[in-house]
Amino acid sequence: MAIPVTVVDDSKISRKMVIRALPPQWNIELTQAENGEEAMAAYRDGKAEVMFLDLTMPVMDGYQVLERLQKEQLNTFVVVISADIQPEAQARVKKLGAMAFIKKPVKTSDIENVLHEYGIV
Amino acid sequence: MYYTNTASSKSDKKTAIMSIQPYTEDQNDALQEVVNIAMGQAGDSLARILGRFVELSIPRIHLVNVDDVIKTVTSMVNNNTEISAIRQAFSNSLRGEAIVVFAQTGADDLADLMGYDTDLAPSAEQELLLEVGNLLVGAIINGISDTLETDLSFSAPSLMAERTPLDQVLVPEQLSWSHSLLMEVNFAIEGRDAKCHLLMFMAEEAINTLRGILDEFMDGI
Repeated sequence: MAIPVTVVDDSKISRKMVIRALPPQWNIELTQAENGEEAMAAYRDGKAEVMFLDLTMPVMDGYQVLERLQKEQLNTFVVVISADIQPEAQARVKKLGAMAFIKKPVKTSDIENVLHEYGIV
Repeated sequence: MYYTNTASSKSDKKTAIMSIQPYTEDQNDALQEVVNIAMGQAGDSLARILGRFVELSIPRIHLVNVDDVIKTVTSMVNNNTEISAIRQAFSNSLRGEAIVVFAQTGADDLADLMGYDTDLAPSAEQELLLEVGNLLVGAIINGISDTLETDLSFSAPSLMAERTPLDQVLVPEQLSWSHSLLMEVNFAIEGRDAKCHLLMFMAEEAINTLRGILDEFMDGI
């Protein structure tokens, strides 16, 4: 059965880069979201069993999404994909419940490593 | 920045404006993302030398007319008090200029975080601003160059202004372009007032060159 995956980023090209980097054999039902609010809506619609989440976004940013998920004890596998590569940014998102952090520009091998590590693919 | 040697009349400049075609939505989106990636690398470099978390915000990109440049920069920097600034030219595939603007309180904070006395001698303060400016500009230019796979180099930094009102730093009559692509990113030091703004200006020729580079970048994805 296809796994519902949501890619959250305000940049269209950035979403495209993430989607292109997903393993081709992975059977998914893909949703795209442009900000945190759309990401939360996608989650509530059952479209985000796995979420690839950018941090810096208008309306509602990635940190706010993580806080909301944590506060409401919602369960989704979040991989943060961000240009903010400070070790402190990585530590903060993990503390907020993100399972992994991947640096932009995203590489296929980075995504594959995370998905393999958790036995998702 | 692009100081002109010959006086050009406003009407000449206005004619040139007509020939600049704005970027498409996709080109703007790609540029925004490239600058975002480069900003992340610059922010990480700054965080490492300061030992502090650096708060990043969304890069702002505007096509500005020379007559509006002060208004736009003032609203971006959000500061009408005295600032210090350094400048560096970049060249090769894209030619332009980067300026890093520091508010005075920001310069004091940087000195403090880097272990200098806050009551710094003017020469030491200049050195500090040049060092931090060079670090940010170098990281941004290298980030853009790597992401777009295009050659860019940059000059040594020089001091552009010290404790000077912003509107005396950018004087429209002294700028040789009529239209410029202005890209702004800012770096705020968590828990401090310190904020620096990195502005990149590219004039007409570079705007057109970058258009082609962005199209190639998008085709490659």
